[in-house]
Amino acid sequence: MAKLSVDGVDYEVADGRTILQALDDLGLLMNGVDVPHYCWHPKLSVDGSCRLCQVEVEGFPKLQIGCNTPIKDGMVVRTKSERVKKAREGVMELLLVNHPLDCPICDQAGECKLQDYAFEYGATHARTEEPRRALKKRVDLGPTITFDQERCILCRRCVRFCREVSETGELGVFNRGDHSVVETFPGTKVDNPYSMNIADICPVGALTTKDFRFKIRVWFLEEPPGICTGCANGCNVFLGVANNKVYRYVPRRNDAVNETWICDSGRMTYKQIGAADRLERAMLRSAQGTLEATAYGQAIDEAAARLRRLVQTKGPGVIAGVASAFASNEDLAIFRRFLAALGTDLAGVAIPTGEADDLLIKAEKAPNGEGARLLGFADAKGVADRIRGGRVEGLVVLGHDLLGPGYFGSEQELAKLDTVIVLDTHRSELERVSHVLLPVRHAAEKHATYTNHAGRVQRSWPVIEPSFEAYADGEVLSRLGAALGLAGFDGKFEVGEVSRGLGKLASAFRGIDLESVGEQGLPVAMKAG
Amino acid sequence: MGLKVPFVTSYLTEHFGDDDFTKLEGYRKRGGWEAARKALTTMTPDEVTETVKASGLQGRGGAGFPAGLKWSFMPKGGDKPRYIACNADESEPGSFKDRILLERGAHQMLEGILIGAWAMQAEKTFIYCRGEYAGPGASIRRALEECYAAGILGANCLGTGFCHDVVLMLGAGAYICGEETGLLESLEGKKGQPRKKPPFPAQHGAFGMPTTVNNVETFSHVRHILNHGPEWFKGFGTDKSPGTTIFGVSGHVARPGLFELPLGTRLDEIIFEHAGGVANGRKLKGVIPGGMSMPILPAGQIDVQMANEFLRERKTMLGTGGIIVMDETTCMVRASCVITYFFRDESCGQCTQCREGTGWLHKIITRIERGAGSMEDIDILADIAGKMEGATICAFADAAAWPVQGMLRHFREDFELHVKHGKCPFPESFEL
Repeated sequence: MAKLSVDGVDYEVADGRTILQALDDLGLLMNGVDVPHYCWHPKLSVDGSCRLCQVEVEGFPKLQIGCNTPIKDGMVVRTKSERVKKAREGVMELLLVNHPLDCPICDQAGECKLQDYAFEYGATHARTEEPRRALKKRVDLGPTITFDQERCILCRRCVRFCREVSETGELGVFNRGDHSVVETFPGTKVDNPYSMNIADICPVGALTTKDFRFKIRVWFLEEPPGICTGCANGCNVFLGVANNKVYRYVPRRNDAVNETWICDSGRMTYKQIGAADRLERAMLRSAQGTLEATAYGQAIDEAAARLRRLVQTKGPGVIAGVASAFASNEDLAIFRRFLAALGTDLAGVAIPTGEADDLLIKAEKAPNGEGARLLGFADAKGVADRIRGGRVEGLVVLGHDLLGPGYFGSEQELAKLDTVIVLDTHRSELERVSHVLLPVRHAAEKHATYTNHAGRVQRSWPVIEPSFEAYADGEVLSRLGAALGLAGFDGKFEVGEVSRGLGKLASAFRGIDLESVGEQGLPVAMKAG
Repeated sequence: MGLKVPFVTSYLTEHFGDDDFTKLEGYRKRGGWEAARKALTTMTPDEVTETVKASGLQGRGGAGFPAGLKWSFMPKGGDKPRYIACNADESEPGSFKDRILLERGAHQMLEGILIGAWAMQAEKTFIYCRGEYAGPGASIRRALEECYAAGILGANCLGTGFCHDVVLMLGAGAYICGEETGLLESLEGKKGQPRKKPPFPAQHGAFGMPTTVNNVETFSHVRHILNHGPEWFKGFGTDKSPGTTIFGVSGHVARPGLFELPLGTRLDEIIFEHAGGVANGRKLKGVIPGGMSMPILPAGQIDVQMANEFLRERKTMLGTGGIIVMDETTCMVRASCVITYFFRDESCGQCTQCREGTGWLHKIITRIERGAGSMEDIDILADIAGKMEGATICAFADAAAWPVQGMLRHFREDFELHVKHGKCPFPESFEL
């Protein structure tokens, strides 16, 4: 450890860190200690070129850049002196010499570091008379990104990202001096699974995502925290919300999960929340064989009636449950209790799978496969085999991943079942064989915890209210349990209480619940043996 | 014409008039490679470094850093190979001394390199020669071929068992590749742009290995120091700046050329006695004393000894010793246009102040020259130059700011006349 004094306050910091890293470690950077910066990024190599992070370091005659000055024990740093302020003003004026100052039509306006720092350190008027650099506008960098070369301040974060993180290296700085420009190498496009991160880390309006640009002014957005549900990594995100609609995900830093990144396909899963194929009405199979929308309560009663009849005529052993890895820990806890109270031990979890990589993307394409396993759900392949063997007559299904290639591939084999009750966020082919359909909430519509691939429990918050009647899976199952008169089910679902009970259900969750995981999550207890 | 030999010679250039001095045989006939043999066979590496340190030899690339001290920064032992980079990327406008040291004295430089290699126990030297120096590059190549054929370099240098390879690389014409870390980047095949420090080249240099970068002339002095001793070397020059250097005089003088003289020789002596004074009977207006990046001195201030300890008092520096002389017809605003155009074009573009400042300086000065400037513009120039100075990764921004500051310090009147008259008041000045 080394002693560091910043603006007269003493801190202890780890050895071998630079001034900016140490401030970042302490959580103080731009959060108590303002050292504005453009080229420095906590997860990229040091560039040292924007020169905005200059601070006074005792013993050095010149100002030093915070991003590349290693801390020495006893170092004394000043960030608020007149010299530092003057230096920042100087850099800001020079950065704006060639900037088009087109904030009114720039989509970055409102979340632009150039705007922010110009407001704080910039002059009220420009001293330049000469025309500014005329460069390329609306450059199509690839499938996801549009580039405005004139707005670029050449911090080279995007160049370093493509070299160091996505390791695709599509971008470079070409030419020299004030004719330097960022471009793709000839014959290449920015086309990699993480491409849109360069728009996040671009401090100005040069790089914007084709998906979000011009959709809404960012000052209309609230940006509550949440998690991506695209795979088992559970990348932390901020959800851009306005008008009860989610407009985008941007990565939220969590060094234990996703650092500051998110993959493109995960980022796009925000579209699932307001998708046109959301299951919006409770539905019942009519006597004519068609699905008819119905009142939610009636659908639950019908589901209960079907299950009761099966239990009475064939016994509970013919009923199976298939959980979803999109369901939360709390939902799954209730599902397990529900199946146990019903008297069946035939249960599994269906998890969609796909490609994985070494960075963030995991093979399990749902957020809670690990939670399901910890809560005692084996893979649904066993249940699928039992169904194929004709020993199952009633099925309660969360989600529709049972139709995935690892399980049934299609709905046809399920057509012979007497009763199929489906709780789902979205519509699917499963509709064709279901008897009761019950809409449930997406992670962004409820309080819930999810356990990622590495056993880290993270939570979601309700950031929008569905425009239709839908409940958390746990709540639906609670009501169904009550309708069936199952022991311990009174129809009420208090998610905090269920969450606090997770530890009793599976020891891995001891001490972990909705409240304790906070915004950064908590790891489950190590599995014994 | 061509600058075949210097007009004034001393130990460095003594034999530059002899054609066979460029060949190994001729070089050996005049004592060549004996200093290296002495170092490798009778001295320890530390003794060589100490000798160079004791001589007070300052780097001749422009910054004047003590050469022996730089050598001593190289880590000893360890499992990483140590490298030397010889900076032959001479491209400072007004400087042309390294060219003749390469064309006429390649063996002399190589001998200095081998001595340095022994002192630093370096495995390999990369000579980074500017691409436009086709002739000097060919001279280096010929000398290297001779040295390898004669067993002077390579697996068994001079039969001593010491192993040292020298590799020649030609640059592609960027001024910034003469900055020592820009050179290393270019050497590695990357875009030539200076590296942030730390780490310094002695820890993390070429290809990540400990590296010392020295200029052509710096290495050329070394054999003489080894042959005659530090005290002899200190007999030339001033107390603080020992040895000779090769002053290159260009511009409005009767006899432009190269002059090897002791450091501390007076600037007026160099111009009036050696370079024949101002051409065409005109009066002197100003002199850039050390290559274009050094602040100009007005005619009244050239009674100064050419060594940093004296030049600093006049807010300028020795730089590369390239002296640019300007007569009374010269428009200093036009001269500033030329200077700032160069730096605008050559800035690598990494650091904000340098990238944007060089362009802005050039634009404003061009406008003033056109007669469309204001008095406020002149103040803005000073302000921009102040913001560029000492705030960037390398000294390029300083090199671009200093000449403008020098012009404003001594020739502000020229700028003001442009503003007042709304046009350039120097009709006889050179054309842009």
